[in-house]
Amino acid sequence: MSPGYHPVLDPTLAPPFTEAALPVLRNPQLRKNVAHAIDVIQAKRNKLVTEKTDWQELRAAASAIRAHTLENLAAYIEMFESRCTAAGGSVYWASDAAEARRIILEILRKENASEVIKIKSMTSAEIQLNPFLEASGVSVFETDLAEIILQLGEDEPSHIVVPALHVNRSQVREIFARRMGRPELTDDPRALTAAARDYLRKKFLSVPTAISGANFLIAETGGVAIVESEGNGRMCLTLPGTMITVAGIEKLLPRFQDLEVMLQVLARSATGERMNPYTSLWTGVTPGDGPQSFHVVLLDNQRSTILAKRVERQTLKCIRCAACMNSCPVYRQTGGHAYGSIYPGPIGAILTPQLMQMHHAQSLPYASSLCGECYEVCPVKINIPEVLLELRSQVVNQERRDMSRFVDPMYVGLRIADLLFSRAWLFHAAQRLGRIGARFFTRKDGWIHSLPSVGAKWTQTRDLRGLPDETFHEWWDSRRAKRSGEAG
Amino acid sequence: MRASLFITCYNDTLFPETGRAVVNLLERLGVDLEFNPKQTCCGQMHANSGFRSEAFSQAKRLVQLYRDAESVVIPSSSCVAMVRDQYPALFEELGNEALRREFAALLPRIYELSEFLVDKLKVDDVGAYFPHRVTYHASCHGLRGIHLGDRPFRLLAKVRGLELAPLPNLDRCCGFGGTFAVKNAEVSSAMLSVKLQDVFSTRAEYCTALDNSCLMHLGGAMHRQYAGMKTIHMAQILASTDSSPAEIAQ
Amino acid sequence: MTRPSIDSRTQIVERLRAANGSAALDREGLAQAYDALPRQYIRQGKLSPSAKIDLLIERLREYDADVVESTPEMLPATIGSRLAASRRKTFVVPSGAPSAWRIAGFDWKIDAGLDIKAIEDTDGVVTGASYAIADSGTIVLHHTAEEGRRVLTLLPDWHLCILRTSQVVETLPEYFASLKEPPQLVTWISGPSATADIEMTRIKGVHGPRLLNVILVCE
Repeated sequence: MSPGYHPVLDPTLAPPFTEAALPVLRNPQLRKNVAHAIDVIQAKRNKLVTEKTDWQELRAAASAIRAHTLENLAAYIEMFESRCTAAGGSVYWASDAAEARRIILEILRKENASEVIKIKSMTSAEIQLNPFLEASGVSVFETDLAEIILQLGEDEPSHIVVPALHVNRSQVREIFARRMGRPELTDDPRALTAAARDYLRKKFLSVPTAISGANFLIAETGGVAIVESEGNGRMCLTLPGTMITVAGIEKLLPRFQDLEVMLQVLARSATGERMNPYTSLWTGVTPGDGPQSFHVVLLDNQRSTILAKRVERQTLKCIRCAACMNSCPVYRQTGGHAYGSIYPGPIGAILTPQLMQMHHAQSLPYASSLCGECYEVCPVKINIPEVLLELRSQVVNQERRDMSRFVDPMYVGLRIADLLFSRAWLFHAAQRLGRIGARFFTRKDGWIHSLPSVGAKWTQTRDLRGLPDETFHEWWDSRRAKRSGEAG
Repeated sequence: MRASLFITCYNDTLFPETGRAVVNLLERLGVDLEFNPKQTCCGQMHANSGFRSEAFSQAKRLVQLYRDAESVVIPSSSCVAMVRDQYPALFEELGNEALRREFAALLPRIYELSEFLVDKLKVDDVGAYFPHRVTYHASCHGLRGIHLGDRPFRLLAKVRGLELAPLPNLDRCCGFGGTFAVKNAEVSSAMLSVKLQDVFSTRAEYCTALDNSCLMHLGGAMHRQYAGMKTIHMAQILASTDSSPAEIAQ
Repeated sequence: MTRPSIDSRTQIVERLRAANGSAALDREGLAQAYDALPRQYIRQGKLSPSAKIDLLIERLREYDADVVESTPEMLPATIGSRLAASRRKTFVVPSGAPSAWRIAGFDWKIDAGLDIKAIEDTDGVVTGASYAIADSGTIVLHHTAEEGRRVLTLLPDWHLCILRTSQVVETLPEYFASLKEPPQLVTWISGPSATADIEMTRIKGVHGPRLLNVILVCE
C-alpha cells in the first residue's frame, strides 16, 4: 500500500507537528525518498539560478508585481471578472470552501455531469472537493501522474509540485499493477509512465467535463494560465466541452506582460528548468476551440482576512513554486505529511494556520529553526521567518488567555526568565541558584547527561556542559577588583 | 579605541571562557574595553518564542544601557541579528518616538565580533596561534542574517598553525534554532545528525563558529557520542597565542 | 444565468476594498503605480542574429527535438524529407496551412472541423508557429489559421513545426514586447511533455506529441 501509514491532511484533525513528525523520522525509506527528490530539484534549480545573471532583478520584479497586485486586489479582481465574462466565461464568487463546493456541484448538475477529469489543483484539495463530489455521485479522475499514484494508492500529497515524492518506483508498480489490472508491469519509470498514459487516454477522449486550478489569472484580459509538464492539463482544457476553474482570489496578475517575469522565476524555482514543457493560456470561450462552457470559481476562504494584515499579507504573494520546501532543512527530514495540511513546508507553516483563522495548526509556526533559507530562495521574496514570528506571537497571545498556561513549563519558564532579565541582580541570583541546582545533575566529567521535564528534550540526544563555577561577569568583577587592589 | 562588551545571557552563564577570550583578544589589540554590569539579555529567546512584549522590555533595557557606548561588541551573531532584524519592528510597534531615535542612534554602533575586528579595527591578522585542524560552521544568523561573508574566513586564514578544513553544505542549518531544539527536539536531532555527518567528514579536531548556541548543540552531541571532536568559539581561537594557548573546556 | 453567490461577491469585494483601504488607487493612479514597478531584469537579448538562431537550435536539441534549417525555396523538399524520415503516413494540417506543405505521397487531412476521432487517428501534424524564444527553446502558438486549434498539436504523436528565423526572439520579455495586444489563446511549448513524479526520474513524452520536429526557414 502506501508507505506504511495513513496521514491526515485535514488541519482540524491532524496531530501537532512535533507528534506527526515522529513516525516519519523513524522511516528510512521515506527520509531517503524525500532527501533524494529535494537534492535533484535543488541541484537543477541552483545551476539555472546561477546561470540567470538577472535572477535578483527578476525576484525584485516578481515580488513588486505581486505586492502591487495585492495592494490593489479589489480593482484587479473586478477587472478580471469583467473581461472574462465579456469573453464568454462565467465567474462565481465563493466566500469559503463549502460555498465553492456547492457552486461547482451545481454547475455539474446543470451539465448532467457524472464524471470529471481533473488537472492537479492545490486549491481544489484545499476545499476538499474530491470526497464531496464522490459523495454526491460524481466520479473524479485525477490526471496528473503523481495524483493518480496518490488516488489509486489511497494516499495523500506530501509536496505541492511533486506530490508523490515520498513514493518510490516499486511502490508505484505495486499500486498500478493492482489498481490498473496490470500485473505484468515492471518498476521501470518509463513503463509506469506509459501505463498511466494508456490508462488516461481513454478518459481524456470521453469525459466531457474538466476541473482545474489556475496558476495565474490575468486581470487586463480575463485570461487564465496553467503551467504544467505532462500535458494532461492541455488534454483537460482542450477536449471536454465544459471547464470549471477554481482559483484563489490572490492568483491575479495585472497584465499579460507580467508573465514574462513570473514564468521565468516559476519554472526555475519549481522544477529547475528554464521553462516548463507546456504553458497554456485561454480567455473565456473561443468558438471552435476547446470548452464552450467555461466557469471560474473565485475562492476567498480567509484570503481577504489575510490581505488586511500588514505582516501576514505577504503570504498571499505565493506562486506555489515549492522552492521554500525544497530548501528547508526541516522539511528535508520530515517530508510533507507531518505538517498535517495540503500546504506543507515553510509556506504551509504560515498559510495553513491563517486559513484556519489560528484555531488549528498552531504548532506549524514553530516547525522551523528560523534558518532563513526559504526567504533566500523565494522568487517573490516572502519573508517567511517574519511571518512565522508574527504567528508565534499570536499563538502566545492565545495562550495568555488560557488557564492551561500555568502548567505549561515553556510558558512559565519564559515568563520567569523575562522577570529575571529585567534586573541584573535577579539575573545574577538566578545564575547562582542555577549553578547550585545544576550540581545535582552534573557528572564527574563536568557534563549533564540527563535532565527532567523540558530539559529532557535536550538531553535525550545531547549532553549539556555543566554550569561553570564562575560566570563571565563574576570573573570580570574579580579581575577588576584585583587590578584596583594592585593599583591601590 | 573604546568599546563596550555585551557578553549575552548565555555566554555569561554557560561560556565565560568565550568572554575571557574576547577580553584578552581585544585588550591585546589595544582596545579599552568596558563592561556594563547591568546587562542581561537582548530578548531574542522571547521574541522567537512569540513573547513580543517581554522581548520589547528587554530590548528597551539594552538600548538604554548602551546609550553612551562608543561601540558595542557582541560575540554572538544571533544576538546581533536580533538587534538589526527584529528591534526595528519591536520599537515601531511598542516603542515611542524617543525610544526609536535612541535605537536608531545605537544601531550603527553595534558590532558582531568578527565585524568589529575586520571593519572597525581593520585587522584580519590578530597574532593568533592555534596549531590544529579546524572546520568552521556558519550559523544561519551569521550567514543569512547579518551577512558576515568572508570575515570569519579572513580571520581564520591568518591564524598560524591552523589548518582549515572546509565544511560541506555550509549553508545548511544545524537544527538548533533556539527553543526549536527543545520544542521540536526530534526534528532538531535529525537535522543535527545530518550536520554532524558533514562536520565529521572534515576530520577536524575542532569545530568552530561565531555562535555558542550552535556549538552547544553540536558539541553536546559530540560529547554524548565520544566523537573525538570538540567545539570552540572562534574568539578562543583568535585569543590563542603560543605563550597563552586557548582555554579549552573539557 | 442565476448566480447564487451574488451575496458573496459583494461581501468579498467589500472585504478586499477594506483590506486595500486608503492605499487603493483610481484607474490612473493604478496605471502609474504599475508603470513604476521595478523592472531591472534583462529585457533585450544581446546575441547576434546567427548566434540567436544557434542558441535556439541548441536548446531545441537539448529537448531531443529534431531541428533542420532550410530556405523558402528548399522548404517543400525539407518537409518531404522530414515526413519520409518519420516513417509515418497520415498527417493533419490546419485549414490555414499553405497547400505547398501538403507534400505528395502522404495522406493528408485538413482540419476544417474534423471530429476528434479523425485527429486521434492521424500519425502526425504539421503547423506553423507565431514565435520562438531562443534562450528557453520555446515555441509559441497563438493558434492562428496556420497553427490550428489546440487539439491539433495535442493528440497526434508527431509534430512538425515550421518556423521562420524572423519569428525568433532571444528572450521571453522580447516576445511580450513585440505583441501589439495580448493573444486570446496561447500555448508555449518547451520540449515534449515530461514527468519526474516517479523518484525524480525524468521521463519524456507523457501526453501530447512525443516527437517534435522543427524546420527553421532562413529568410
